[in-house]
Amino acid sequence: MGRYILKRLLQGIPLLLFISIILFLLMMNMGDPVATMGGRRVTRSSDYERLRRQLGLDKPIYVQYLYWLAGNDWAKTDLDGDGIAETSGIRRGILRGDFGASLLARKPVLDVIGERLPNTLILMVASEIIIILGALLVGIYSALRQYSFMDNFVTAILFIAYSMPIFFIALISMYIFAVLFKRWGLPYLPTVGMFDPQIGRTTAQVLWHMILPVLSISLISFAAYSRYIRSTMLEVMNQDYIRTARSKGLPRRDVVFIHALKNASLPIVTVVGLDLPLLLGGAVVTERIFAWPGMGRLFLDHVDRVDLPVVMGILMLIAVAVVVFQILTDIVYAWLDPRIRYEK
Amino acid sequence: MKRKLLFVLAIAALALSACGGTPKTEAPKTTPVNSTTPAVTEPPVSQAEKKVVTLIYTQEFDNLSPLYTSMWFAWTTWQMNNHWAWEFDEKNEPFPRLVTEIPSTANGGISADGRVITMKLRDDIKWSDNTPLTADDFIFTWEMAVSPKNTVATTYPYDAIESVTAADPQTVVVTFTEPFAPWLATLWHGILPAHILRPVYDAEGTIDNAEWLKNPTVGCGPYNFAEWESGSYARFVRNENYWGTPAKIDEIFIRFVPDDASQIAALKAGDADLGTFISYSDVPGLKEAGLNIMVEPNGYSEWMFFTLNKEQSNPAIFDVNVRKAIAMSIDRESINRDLLLGLTKVPASFWDALPYYNNPPLTNYPYDPNAAKALLDKAGWVDTNGDGVREKDGVDLVIEHATTIKEIRQDVQAVMQQQLAEVGIKLNVNPVDDTLYFSSYADKGPAAKGEYDIQEWSDGPLFPDPDLYYWKCDQIPTDENPTGENWFYICDKELDSLITLQSTQVDAVERQKTISKINQLFYDKVYLIGLWQDPDVYAIGSRLKNVKFSGVTMFFNIAEWDLVK
Amino acid sequence: METSLNPAPIAALPLDELETPPLSLGQLTWRRFRRHKMAMFGAVTLLFLFAYSFGGALVIPESYANFADTTLRLTSPSMAHPFGTDTIGRDTLARTIYGGQISIFIGLLAVLIENLIGIIVGALAGYYGGIVDSILMRITEAMLNIPEIFLLIVMAKFFGGKIPEIPLFGRIFSGSVVVIVVIIGLTSWMYLARIVRAEFLSFKESEFVLAARATGTSNFGIIFRHILPNSIAPIIVSATLGVANAILAEAYISFLGLGVQPPTATWGNMLDGANNYLESAPWLWFFPGLLILLIVLSINFLGDGLRDALDPHSRTM
Repeated sequence: MGRYILKRLLQGIPLLLFISIILFLLMMNMGDPVATMGGRRVTRSSDYERLRRQLGLDKPIYVQYLYWLAGNDWAKTDLDGDGIAETSGIRRGILRGDFGASLLARKPVLDVIGERLPNTLILMVASEIIIILGALLVGIYSALRQYSFMDNFVTAILFIAYSMPIFFIALISMYIFAVLFKRWGLPYLPTVGMFDPQIGRTTAQVLWHMILPVLSISLISFAAYSRYIRSTMLEVMNQDYIRTARSKGLPRRDVVFIHALKNASLPIVTVVGLDLPLLLGGAVVTERIFAWPGMGRLFLDHVDRVDLPVVMGILMLIAVAVVVFQILTDIVYAWLDPRIRYEK
Repeated sequence: MKRKLLFVLAIAALALSACGGTPKTEAPKTTPVNSTTPAVTEPPVSQAEKKVVTLIYTQEFDNLSPLYTSMWFAWTTWQMNNHWAWEFDEKNEPFPRLVTEIPSTANGGISADGRVITMKLRDDIKWSDNTPLTADDFIFTWEMAVSPKNTVATTYPYDAIESVTAADPQTVVVTFTEPFAPWLATLWHGILPAHILRPVYDAEGTIDNAEWLKNPTVGCGPYNFAEWESGSYARFVRNENYWGTPAKIDEIFIRFVPDDASQIAALKAGDADLGTFISYSDVPGLKEAGLNIMVEPNGYSEWMFFTLNKEQSNPAIFDVNVRKAIAMSIDRESINRDLLLGLTKVPASFWDALPYYNNPPLTNYPYDPNAAKALLDKAGWVDTNGDGVREKDGVDLVIEHATTIKEIRQDVQAVMQQQLAEVGIKLNVNPVDDTLYFSSYADKGPAAKGEYDIQEWSDGPLFPDPDLYYWKCDQIPTDENPTGENWFYICDKELDSLITLQSTQVDAVERQKTISKINQLFYDKVYLIGLWQDPDVYAIGSRLKNVKFSGVTMFFNIAEWDLVK
Repeated sequence: METSLNPAPIAALPLDELETPPLSLGQLTWRRFRRHKMAMFGAVTLLFLFAYSFGGALVIPESYANFADTTLRLTSPSMAHPFGTDTIGRDTLARTIYGGQISIFIGLLAVLIENLIGIIVGALAGYYGGIVDSILMRITEAMLNIPEIFLLIVMAKFFGGKIPEIPLFGRIFSGSVVVIVVIIGLTSWMYLARIVRAEFLSFKESEFVLAARATGTSNFGIIFRHILPNSIAPIIVSATLGVANAILAEAYISFLGLGVQPPTATWGNMLDGANNYLESAPWLWFFPGLLILLIVLSINFLGDGLRDALDPHSRTM
């Protein structure tokens, strides 16, 4: 097993390299970070040249990629524009753990990301829990009562939720529960942010402000997951061993929760395992609407202003997380299903 | 199995958040003894009794340091924890802040040749750690701006200065290499504290990584910076050590809300006291919800600029009569009335917000499609093949129009398309994302390469100074000079000499004469067409009082703002 | 459903109880599909929506849809404008008709691209195995590792503004439509590729393939004439659901400002344009929202029904 894990990890490295090259190339053609540094005006030409030189943006693509990968403290840069490169760089490159500094905030990329990561995790983990629990309940119930009235009714509602664009659900729910409820004198929810500045950042405040964003995110995935669980359960329930268990006279509950669910959990684990690292991306749109300071918004803001180091940092972190989680999922898979064995 | 694991993860994450595990930029513990470093985690009880004002910013400032950013949203904070040497009031008139009086030729502040500015500082100004603010800080600010080791956002106008010296701690002497007319509007936008940053510069050779840039806890304004959690909020608390009249409000909380619709929802629900950059379409709804709307001119207007690029532009627009016809084919009044709800006006002059320079005042070309058609006929552009588009010498009158992606711009583009079609001109609209649009010539930025016949964006003179520089002949971008700023590819010798002249005329009367000539030239040659004036539009909650805005130093009277219950 | 092989004398049996010829896959599928009420509802609604967008264009000319009368901006639904007018006075009903054409086009074309790439990659990887499989799967994984929304944003900026307009079927499509189709296609093929690869892996060693090889059929022939038709089921389901996904993705990107640019209307960008008017002009979001809901819903029902009908393990029948 250990050797398998090692092999997978090693296989992941060229993959990550490949991903980084594709992303870097895409980023290069997305616009000019210096163009918007002039505030409301276009950047002045004298500042333009200087900034490009100081930020290392005047070098060709492959050189910039090399610096990003391996740093530039082994090379000399020309900081004062006199044509002579005499100052050594200070970056150590991503291979040594230096993600660089944001072009806008001038802070290390890891600091910038680290500030937002917990916020996204809170939101996403809470959403994932609600989605899984809810989907399990609904999925199992639907599978057992296939094509009954309740099944069709619940399915219909879920399908409707699944068919709406998320920004729409988010905005409508914000309007109804925050603006209109307040206007009508009903107990209301807050509109934006993580907490009320008058009260400060307490757990209660954060939980309270989390309700609408989590609701919006969950509603959509909930539908997909519950359908998936339903169909998996159906598939399992038709297997021979279930029929055997039932004909043996085992109580329904045992059949469903012990035998069926355990076997259905395999594909569910796969789906959840692959979904988890994508949580890091955050629900980009929901975060924007509810002004939740997470990774999704970070990505949007910095892609907009073409802040290369931060965007590459986020994307690479997610890629690493996905590779790691894929390996983890495979391990859990093997643990759950004794029939699966991986070659050494 | 999996469920339990997730559950544990969730609890852990929640626990982390509650303990304030998020690393945010807080006030560092190593500040001088006398300072009033505000405690970051205050007990909930006193929080509720404090006067806290919540502002909404739709864009987060990239950093808070003077010199390192040009963002409007950062400029607003420099009236909170920093100061300009002189600031501007709600009429955009200058008034002294750190100086005792505005330098002028009358009081000897400006030399006869206009090159030397002498500033007399107040003797009671000090930083929030009680260090006096002296001429040394000004000298240091200039040195940092022009040092090639600092990655500052802009060196303007400090690179035009030959030297900054101090005759005594309260006197600053600024010597320009040449007479520099825009000095009043462009100098001293925020001061760096020499006593904190000079040691950093001496030690590291640059102030790029100084702690103060991320945590400007020492300031000279009515508020002190307390904390900034990226993406979420920033907090400023009252400076108890302020040298001027203390502020009335205890705490200013700035919340970053990028989405327009969310900002409006938050304002309507009363979750914020001030909103920025409100669209005109939202104004009626906000007024209904009980908010006040305040509008402050800032020199900007939305303009359509003609690009006379011989290699790419449609030959039609090189004819001034065609340009006049276009100006007369767009019903700008109805656009302002219907799409902008009559809340702003059509600008006639580039200097609309500076009436002194728009003298004699220009009036707009009227909306007259018949006259436009006549002009086009006379210029030789006729529709011979009946497809609805005029042509001449085998070239169709198709105009490529480009602007960035913004709802009001796209609405107006659609309306203009229709109005121009009525006179036989086909307008092709090209909405482009803004970082792509404003990319440089070297990056094949479409505007810089002059690929469109008409470019549209919001611009104005160097308000409150009337200076302008785009149209100079030597600023046309070429492969040898890729950073040229004249993206209009217009080389008009007369215009060029006038622009150069006015930037050296320190005498306002002389300058006014030059600029009024430019004003008239713009009108006669129709180099630009004004669409609407673009002032700052703010929404103010009912509990916020005494608020005034300036078009230059936006929150200039923030110390006077007050909250009523 | 087999008819019972009743050992009664043949002459005594009414004709329709004689053994009927076995049903083809299509007929079997149709029978099972018919029982799925929601799928039928979906199919009918879909037909209606197609008729609305394409038939409606015969009734209302495009010039009317683009005609802006700014004095009539934001009027609520009335006899003259049954769906009201938008921010510059264009008729919302007409815009939903023409917008529907674009939305449906985007859905169909994106799925076409997605399927082409996905099937080719999956088939080659599954059939040839070895190095080919390794490389193709690495590429697929690389693309899968990046969250779709990020890829969409990055690609939208990358391609934005670089593609000119294309006149087709009497309408002029702005370059941004092509961009959207391409980027949605390029970011969604991976799932199908994996499914197709799994199908090919399992069919590769089956008897009919061995037989085909024994009779000398070329590899190309085996792939496209033997294995592919047998794996058509998941492809159909995936393609159907892919259309819904593409329509929603288009709305999503429009929210971020990177979608199809006005004045070309799509249901997605009409919905986005209504964000600031949720309260003051609800007709701006209600109608495009309802239409998006209906089309995505009906596609999802349809796909669900197809999946149940084509899946041999399902409990129906």
